[in-house]
Amino acid sequence: MDFVILSLVMMAIGIYGLLTNRQLLKVFISVELIATAATLNFVMLVPSIGEGLGQAFLILAFSTDTAVSAVVLALLVIVTKRYGTSNINEILKMQEKQDSEAEK
Amino acid sequence: MILEILAIGLIISAVLALFLDEVVYSVAALAATFLFTALLYLENGAIYAAIFQFAVGVGTLSILFLSGEMLSEKSTKKTSPPKMGILLGAGVVLSLPAILFSVSNSSAAYSNVSFGDALWNLSGVDVVLQALVILTVALGIAIILYERRNGGQ
Repeated sequence: MDFVILSLVMMAIGIYGLLTNRQLLKVFISVELIATAATLNFVMLVPSIGEGLGQAFLILAFSTDTAVSAVVLALLVIVTKRYGTSNINEILKMQEKQDSEAEK
Repeated sequence: MILEILAIGLIISAVLALFLDEVVYSVAALAATFLFTALLYLENGAIYAAIFQFAVGVGTLSILFLSGEMLSEKSTKKTSPPKMGILLGAGVVLSLPAILFSVSNSSAAYSNVSFGDALWNLSGVDVVLQALVILTVALGIAIILYERRNGGQ
């Protein structure tokens, strides 16, 4: 059982989801999975750098992850309220339409 | 054996969280991912990390459930049983490399630093700085939402 490979697989799943999903909430879930995969490595570090230090790093990484999640969720709510949809393709189309109307 | 089962559960729930069509079920699968991660930490003796993961997971998921219900379009599309089977199979296959192969060096240079020492003595400055950054982020989000509300939109 290898945590490095496990976190690599989870990161690959997250990146694949980030590239293929068009729903903003799914994109957020992908970001969460990538962050979880990154923090999973600290468990692997525990035997080599010591239990205390590993957990301390892990908790610091968690805090950053939570702050990032809060920012992404706030942006997600604002964008969805503004455009009325959470589909990235539709949001881009609306933005292009707004830009072309502004140019005229 | 328990670690292997947890790893399979973790990968399956991660795959389901991304590729299920219903947003609420996706969030439920993400909850399972966080739970399996917390159990993995617990199994490795990282108790504080497991509790922290669990607490952060509960907070994130409650907000995600609310925003998922609020923001997602109501679609009648449901995940078909064959697709569910494919997702489960993909999860099992993807978790096999972590169970079968190993790349990490097992040489243990264990240092006896306690959790409290590591958090407050070795990385105390990091903790304080990070608290400041998170406070600033929280204030920034509150200001953005407040300005938007007062901007008439």
